[in-house]
Amino acid sequence: MIRAVIVMNTQGKPRLLKFYEFQPPEKQHELTRSVFAVLSGRPDNVSNFVEADAIFGPGTRLVYKHLATLYFVFVFDSCENELAMLDLIQVLVETLDRCFKNVCELDIVFNFNKMHTILDEIIFGGQVLETSSERVLKAVEEISRLEKSSSSVSFVPKSVSGRFGR
Amino acid sequence: MALTGMRGLSVFISDVRNCQNKEQERLRVDKELGNIRTRFKNEKALTHYKKKKYVWKMLYIYMLGYDVDFGHMEAVSLISAPKYPEKQVGYIVTSCLLTENHEFLRMVINTVRNDIIGRNETFQCLALTMVGNIGGKEFSESLATDVQKLLVSSSCRPLVRKKAALCLLRLYRKNPDVVNIDGWSDRMSQLLDERDLGVLTSVMSLFVALVSNNVEAYWNCLPKCVKILERLGRNQDVPQEYTYHGIPSPWIQVKTMRALQYFPTIEDPNTKRALFEVLQRILMGTDVVKNVNKNNAAHAILFEALALVVHLDAEKEMMSQCVALLGKFVAVREPNIRYLGLENMTRMLLVSDVQDIIKSHQAQIIISLKDPDISIRRRALDLLYGMCDVTNAKDIVEELLQYLNTADFAMREELALKAAILAEKFAPDLSWYVDVILQLIDKAGDFVSDDIWYRVVQFVTNNEDLQPYAATKAREYLEKPVLHETMVKVSAYLLGEYNHLLARRTGCTPKEIFIIINEKLPTVTTSTVAIVLSTYAKILMHNHPPDPELQEQIWSIFRKYESYIDVEIQQRAVEYIALCNKGAALVDVLAEMPKFPERQSALLKKAEVAEVDTAEQSAIRIRSQQQTSNALVVTDQRPTEGSLPVSQLGVVRMPSGKMEASTQDQTSFQDQGMTKENGVITEVVPQDVPPADLLGDLLGPLAINGSPATAVPVEQRNQNLLSVVEATPEAAGSLALTTVDNQPNSIQPIVNIAERFNELCLKDSGVLYEDLHIQIGIKAEWQAHHGHIVLFLGNKNTSPLVSVQALILPPTHLKMELSLVPETVPPRAQVQCPLEFVNLRASRDVAVLDFSYKFGTAMVYVKLRLPAVINKFLQPISVTAEEFFAQWKSLSGPPLKLQEVLRGVKPLSLPEMANLFTSLHLAVNPGIDTNPNNLIACTTFYSESTRATLCLIRVETDPSDRTQLRITIASGDPTLTFELKESIKEYLVNIPTQTSSAVVAPSQPQSPVTPVAYNDPGAMLAGLL
Repeated sequence: MIRAVIVMNTQGKPRLLKFYEFQPPEKQHELTRSVFAVLSGRPDNVSNFVEADAIFGPGTRLVYKHLATLYFVFVFDSCENELAMLDLIQVLVETLDRCFKNVCELDIVFNFNKMHTILDEIIFGGQVLETSSERVLKAVEEISRLEKSSSSVSFVPKSVSGRFGR
Repeated sequence: MALTGMRGLSVFISDVRNCQNKEQERLRVDKELGNIRTRFKNEKALTHYKKKKYVWKMLYIYMLGYDVDFGHMEAVSLISAPKYPEKQVGYIVTSCLLTENHEFLRMVINTVRNDIIGRNETFQCLALTMVGNIGGKEFSESLATDVQKLLVSSSCRPLVRKKAALCLLRLYRKNPDVVNIDGWSDRMSQLLDERDLGVLTSVMSLFVALVSNNVEAYWNCLPKCVKILERLGRNQDVPQEYTYHGIPSPWIQVKTMRALQYFPTIEDPNTKRALFEVLQRILMGTDVVKNVNKNNAAHAILFEALALVVHLDAEKEMMSQCVALLGKFVAVREPNIRYLGLENMTRMLLVSDVQDIIKSHQAQIIISLKDPDISIRRRALDLLYGMCDVTNAKDIVEELLQYLNTADFAMREELALKAAILAEKFAPDLSWYVDVILQLIDKAGDFVSDDIWYRVVQFVTNNEDLQPYAATKAREYLEKPVLHETMVKVSAYLLGEYNHLLARRTGCTPKEIFIIINEKLPTVTTSTVAIVLSTYAKILMHNHPPDPELQEQIWSIFRKYESYIDVEIQQRAVEYIALCNKGAALVDVLAEMPKFPERQSALLKKAEVAEVDTAEQSAIRIRSQQQTSNALVVTDQRPTEGSLPVSQLGVVRMPSGKMEASTQDQTSFQDQGMTKENGVITEVVPQDVPPADLLGDLLGPLAINGSPATAVPVEQRNQNLLSVVEATPEAAGSLALTTVDNQPNSIQPIVNIAERFNELCLKDSGVLYEDLHIQIGIKAEWQAHHGHIVLFLGNKNTSPLVSVQALILPPTHLKMELSLVPETVPPRAQVQCPLEFVNLRASRDVAVLDFSYKFGTAMVYVKLRLPAVINKFLQPISVTAEEFFAQWKSLSGPPLKLQEVLRGVKPLSLPEMANLFTSLHLAVNPGIDTNPNNLIACTTFYSESTRATLCLIRVETDPSDRTQLRITIASGDPTLTFELKESIKEYLVNIPTQTSSAVVAPSQPQSPVTPVAYNDPGAMLAGLL
């Protein structure tokens, strides 16, 4: 089972947190910080695997991908295959990339509601739900259509969000 | 247009981003929270849209790590909104902010159900997602049937059905009964025929969960799994969208192979052949390619295939093929593949016949021990540890010692422990073992636990030919200008015992040894001072012909410590001075330590405990557990001169009063085992309690054999002098276990049964019992007044355990049902026996499992308490102060409200106590009691007749004296109040070992005689004098 999905930037700021076993916010924050402490100490060109026993309890593993300014982290137990999890991170990233056309950190910051929608189409209650990014996109587009049909909620384009960002 | 929807949200996010520091951020967040709170409070007619906006903001704030303790109602109420956008936010935010037990969720069950059974697919998806993320037992009860219908419905779109499958998985975890219906396994089998790979992905996850808990029910699905692998392997009927970099859904392939690892074997030859063909193709057809993602996916499948091959115990040829592949992987540069190569090679160690091939890769593996990636270093260490045996121990251990110099701090302790264990297990000769341990202490003293140096002392004491060597080494190390304190301890101890063996060497006169040790004295801590004082006393004894100057120097040190602040040191100093005046008696009293009785190494035990502490269900884990623990047990029986079998412990020791106190904490003494004889209290420690540790042996002031002759000179301290004599091997053999028909049990448990039981009272899975042949694990689930325990009977041997019988003696308050226990447990197999409980009323009586099996000619009987104790039928509940006080007042006085002052409580800090309470299923509610030293906890008790009964607990502690407290318990049922109070009391007073029940399997020896062990040197001496 996947225990948690954490997306954070290279300064350790959380951009998306999803815990599939309830954790109070302080705990979520603490866990995120510990994960960041481990990841930030890792050099490039090493494996994508980290034993997470010390942070998430015995038997847990962590797989991460470091892309531009972001860390994508999946935490899971011994029932999952490490490389399959790494592939699933890739599916998430590819989906985001297609959804936001060259995704960058700002997209994720300002569309964090969208992130939740996308993630919910890929992972469901800690289990892999969908692995085809086409299907995920279709589902997400359908949801966007429904959202717009009554009041408009669309994601914020980069050009506009840039104005608010630093 | 783009911003009209959530402009407020975007503005808020960029505001937060523009904050210069944490303080500003907090201010901005507080302001926003204040704003949202007032809106929610004052504007009754808030539009759904505005609510939606605020709720998203709350979720953002929550993600930043701030507690959002209001607005939950608003989030939940959005679920009932008629339009999609609001409903969507309601569902998403609810599943992020609330826990499964949140009371608000109860209010929306009906809405959720309507969404699920309604015709609107998008609403169905939302509802399923929320339930799948946080659905609890109540959801399980009311929704499981509807979710099942969606899953098997032919009219539903795949989008809905795949969510239904995973939603059902969640509901199943909350209540396994949801699939306990006739024909479910057939339905499962049909589901595995699914053509849509999206749905199949989810179905396979559901299947893995089901099969991991109950393989027996799903044998019919096994051929289907193989069919799926064949279909994907041949890339038949796989749509483009489900190929990942050209590979047909790696996720389904991996999950399917994972599912197959839960089946112990594959009987059907056709299925087996088909599967092996698939596996063969995977093993042969996977190449390292340039595209990283493709590479990952292909290797994900390959590694899972390897695991499956190992699980199936394939023919030798295929195994060799696997090892060859792994050999390739441990040498590749790609770090992920190398990492997994090392890990899987470690698993491969369990396969017989391939060890030699693995050993041929040793040099390559050692290179990974120096990799820049700590993850890889850890894997390499594990593998080296696992592959070590007598042939390569020297190389590997020396490699580890060398690595110790440069290893990161995070790994040093583990490294030190592993090196020590390997040195002990596989030492080609004992002097090498001594060298290794001394080097370890020298290089990494801070990371060497006491167990490690106790063990080396034990070895030296038990092997005469080793003593001069060890003493010489100790003397050499003392030359070093800077010495770790542990090294001072070992050296001082060894030289105290064996300085006379070095007498003729240069620099080794008693005086020289005294001087060099004494140089270290000013810098060491009290625990070392204690050892050094004993060493001086021993040096004094060997001071022949007497050197008055040395004598005076030592005496002056003793006198100095006579008034030392530490009682232990003071006592030693006083006693040694007194002893010195006894003249010839000194020689008797200070005689060399007798041999230690052979016992299971504390180190090996530690390694074992670390490896078997969970009853994890993964097939591989179970295998490795069985194998590992077995290996340790076997090697532990290394025949040492005059040794006794591990299971028969016998120890003579004479700790001081202080030691006694510490032992008493750790062991449960049986009163009837105590006798008084010759003014020396002799305690018979029951067999099930392993000697607490070696501390008692080594740090006891002197190695005195408990005999009248030696006791006389030290009469003045007889008051606090206790000799703890364990049951002798003979006595233990015949009396150690309560047997059904008083037959002797030759097999002894290798875990502390009482301790295991106590641990399992506080958690839900773990090992209940273990001996040389069998390990009984437990996994329990509790749900209101129902309990479901699965016993895992694991045979550790290569031959079957027969005549297996399990009888349950249920107490009157529990209704129990044990499924059939198979008469035979096949070699290296694990059998699961589910057990159902229904709680009828509150009681502290304990159910007992009467378990027996036959191995070879030995019949083994054990009685095991089952951890179906009262606190398991509690469910924690949080209440507000108002609710609490209303109840508290209405339950006035006995018998509904009982109060007791407890003394002799194990001292616990409040957080520790809160932790204990949480483990007992009592919800600690901070803030209700204004006094910070008090603790309020609430829980609900479930029984068949009463359903939920609220129980309130208040503990008042005294910060100045943690050993006493006052506890008040109130509930609507007098029996419950009483039983609960007594139960909590037991936990508070007797942590961690309680002796509440007399049916601990190995019972105390029946006659309180002072045991005399004629083959134990210490006890023999005691007997003679």
